[in-house]
Formats: sequence, structure tokens, C-alpha cells
Amino acid sequence: MSASDAFGLFGSGLLGLAAVATAIRLRRLPVRARYAVMLAAALAVFVPIGELSIAACVRGVTGDLSMSTLVLAGAACFAQLTGRTLIGLRDRQALCWLLALAAAFLYPFALGWTRFDPYALGYGSIAFLTALLVITLAAWWARLHVIVLVVIAAALAYLVGAYESRNLWDYLIDPLASVYALVRLLPPRTVLQQPANRSP
Amino acid sequence: MTARGQRWASLAAVALAFAGLYFRVITALPPGGFAPPPSAARAASTAPPLYEAQLLPNTSAASVHSATAAEISGGRLRAFWYGGSREGASDVAIYTSVYSLRQKDWSPESVVVTREFAQRHLRRSVRKLGNPVVGRDSKGRLCLYFVSVSVGGWAGSAVNLMVSEDEGETWSPPRRLIASPFFNISTLVKGAPLLFSGGAVGLPVYHELLGKFGELLRLDAEGRAIGKTRLSWGQSSLQPVIVPRSETEAVGFMRYAGDPPNRILIVRTGDGGVHWSRPEKTALPNPNAAIASALLSDGALLLAFNNAEENREDLSLALSADFGHTWRIAHRFEGASGPAPAPVPEYSYPWIVQDRDGDVHVLYTWGRSRIKHVRFNRAWLEGKR
Repeated sequence: MSASDAFGLFGSGLLGLAAVATAIRLRRLPVRARYAVMLAAALAVFVPIGELSIAACVRGVTGDLSMSTLVLAGAACFAQLTGRTLIGLRDRQALCWLLALAAAFLYPFALGWTRFDPYALGYGSIAFLTALLVITLAAWWARLHVIVLVVIAAALAYLVGAYESRNLWDYLIDPLASVYALVRLLPPRTVLQQPANRSP
Repeated sequence: MTARGQRWASLAAVALAFAGLYFRVITALPPGGFAPPPSAARAASTAPPLYEAQLLPNTSAASVHSATAAEISGGRLRAFWYGGSREGASDVAIYTSVYSLRQKDWSPESVVVTREFAQRHLRRSVRKLGNPVVGRDSKGRLCLYFVSVSVGGWAGSAVNLMVSEDEGETWSPPRRLIASPFFNISTLVKGAPLLFSGGAVGLPVYHELLGKFGELLRLDAEGRAIGKTRLSWGQSSLQPVIVPRSETEAVGFMRYAGDPPNRILIVRTGDGGVHWSRPEKTALPNPNAAIASALLSDGALLLAFNNAEENREDLSLALSADFGHTWRIAHRFEGASGPAPAPVPEYSYPWIVQDRDGDVHVLYTWGRSRIKHVRFNRAWLEGKR
């Protein structure tokens, strides 16, 4: 198995674990039971059933997941396991706004609406990098640590070629993170009322 | 570490990460123009006129479609196509067969890729297989690109790559190309790959999720997408075919899926594929069907296409002496006055390849049940001018 396959499967599996932990509200269980359930879920997600594992099936649909999704999924697992919130409301809101704006910029044009293709910028554009640097420095200045963490993780993963993709966008954002951000930003009455620190 | 120390450490991490990103972009090789067309080096043939046609072997698949071929060593062609119980079925596999230019016969077909094989090596679910296209990279290796679908219909497609260093006898495991930010779905292939002078491969692709449009992917030596250029946009163009004439100049054709009149679309570049003209309709009809094109050594441009606006019952060959500005119909491969018709009168998805001797080979779907191979030489074509 190549390193990019392993990393891709890890990401899909982590998303699966976050989904399970959040769906069953793991944090309501006793501490030992939480770890037992997560261990069982990890075995179910990563161990192949026949030819494919659940993580491989998820990866078949979602592709490799961005660092935004992995950070959110990891934080969700952490919160459900320990009962402690890793990402504060201000950080989460800021990340969601940034993801929503990036999605609005990227996806409609990537669908072929115009000749302009922002996705192509992710293959290596000085302007794109500079814009991302400005956003990251602004986030650092405002002490929005999660945005800074996501950008650094995405940059490092891109530089070492962690995924099959050579496009920086794929390390920063994916449709799942975008949908999550949009749902989180909707007014509370638009969706079912959720706890303030709901996991993805 | 104090909070202040952590803050400055995070700034240092940002600086290091972006230094790496800028270094990567600045040191990336410039795109370069198109590699010289291989047909330019081919010698003119003095053979008498030759035109022959035959069906490729098919002993197992009820439905076959989308042939592609490349010349390989030893005076041979290697063709690929997909076949199964029906298009989109889970039993669809990619087949291959080898044609001897001297003996003029095709070997029995064999399976190269099955759905299960792709699923196992791609380490993700695969529901069905689709179009293959074959070409060579800058190292001369045979590269087989093929479409697979994990979820949904063809709009959920992705492209995969297998490489052979022994002319198609054995292959590397397939690897996924990443070309779309939407879960990497909705990227398909039909047009022949081409080479850039810097060693990159240009792969014409198209997307079918909500929009229908074409792009030219740039792949590095390892077959990973490192850039792309949009050929069209909107909802009415797909299956681009790119034909370079020089390092800077190329013409592209696309299948048309918009409002009537139904015509083949054309685009041009004069800067090595960095910028492309707005797609325009040619005078040639197109019933929302694939086309194929090739540039001959004397500069004549060939186009195999369905010469009708509404059906795929007529497959013809057009010639252009001015690189696609004007066209003349040179021959009808299939149609009302053509050879014995197929049970299903559909002749589609042509592929053109010119061998070292200058002979032209056209492969296409014949009635959805067989792949047909037509071979003709320059002398025959001269008689059609």
C-alpha cells in the first residue's frame, strides 16, 4: 500500500469514526465504554470485509479528504472521547466562514460556468499562494488558531505529497467540509437546534 | 512553552510552510509548448492504394464500445476497448488485442482491467468501468487511461492510469488521477493524449457534472495532474480531441451537446495550449457523438465523425488542407450506401492512429457489438482528394 493510499484511507476512516461517535453521542457513555466503542468502531471501519474496508468504500465516494475535514473530524472524535471541546466557538465560526467563502469561490466556477477556473490556481499560482498567506497571517493576528493549523497542515501535506492530488485546493477544502460549514452558518431556526459545540 | 512562545512558534510554522509552497511554485518547470507531432517525421509511402476493413475479435462481450489504439514495437498496433453485458454493467472489462501490420490480423482479445481488479488496486469501491484511451509518455512507456465510476452514472466518473514498460504485456497497478474538487468525480477521457516539449503529457478530459465542458490536463512524469487549461465552459461541449501542428499551434474539436444546429465545435491555440479560443461551431454536423482527428505528415488534417445531426448511422472521413478552416468529405465508412449494416445501425466513437509507414488506422464501434478496424494508406487517400 502506498503512503498516499494509507493516508487517504486513514482520513476516510477518521471521518467514519467521527460520524459514529457523534451519531451515538459517545460522550454520554462511561469513559471506558467510550474507548471500547471507538476501538470496535475502528476495527469495523479499517478492517476489510471481503475485498474492501468501510474506509475504502467511503474513500470511493468522497475521495481523499481535506485537512479541514480531518481537523474537524479529529476534534469531534476527541470531544466525544474526552468530553472536552478542542475547537472553541469563535474558532469554529471563523473556520466555517472561511470554508463557506472558499467554497463559493471555488465550486461554481469549477462546475464550468465560465472560462475562469479557480481550481487550476491550486496547481501553482503565486497570486493564490499570496492570497492564502494574507488570510493565514490575518487569522494568526486574530488568534484564530484552527485556521492557522488547517493551513499549515494542508501546506505540509501538499509539500510531502501525502495525497494523490498535486492541487493545493484538495488539501485545504472538500465538499463535505463546505457543506458542514454552510449548515453551521445557517440561522438556528433554519436547521434543527444543535448544541453549541456540535461535532461534524 | 508559554502562550507567547506558542504564538511565535505558530508564526514560524506559517513562515516555513509558505516558504516551502513558494519554493515549489517558483522552481516548477515552465509548461513548454507541444512536442513536435510524430507524424512529421514519417516518410511518404510509395505503396499502391490500400483500403481494407475487418472486425476485431469478440468472443465474450455482448456489448463493446470506445476503442483506442497505439502503434507498438515489432510493426504492431495494440487496441483497447470496453465490453460487457451492456454499457455500465458491473461485468464490463477493458479488453486488448494486437494487430500485426504485416500479417494484417488481430490476436484473440484478452482482458486487461476488470472492475474487481481496479477496485482492489485503487483501494476504493468501483461500480463500473468506461472509456479507455492509450498513449505514450515522454519515456516512451505505454499509458492506459480509463474511466471508472464509484457512485452514480457517468457524471460520477474518475480517470485512472496504468503504465506498461513492455508494450502492453504487463501493467502497473492502476492509479487515480485527481482532476476535480468535487470528490474528484466527473472527469472522463476520450481524446488521445499528447506530449509537451518539457516531457509532460497533455490529456484531454471532460466533465459531465451539471456542466459539460472540456479541459486539457497536464500530467508529470509520474502521471499526476500538475496543471490544466479550460478548453470550453457551459453545458454543451465534451470529449475534446487535440491535434498539435507545431510547438505553439494546435486545433481542438469537441462533441456538441447543446441546442441545434448540432455541429462539431472547434477551438485553437497559438501559444502552446496556455490560452484557447472561444469554441465555435464548424460546418460539420454532430449528433452528440464522439469524433477523432489526426494530422498527416503532409499537413492534411483527418476527421472521423458521424455525418448527421440526429443519429450515428453515418460515419465519415473529412479532410482539411488548411488545418481545420475548411473541410471536404473524403469517404463514408458506414452509411446508407456503405457495407453490410450492423444489427444495430450505430457506428461511433472513432479513433485514428497513423503508423510508421504512414498508413492510417481507424477503429470504431460497429453496431455496439463489435469494434471495426479500417486501414488505408496515403495512395488510397490521394485518390479521394
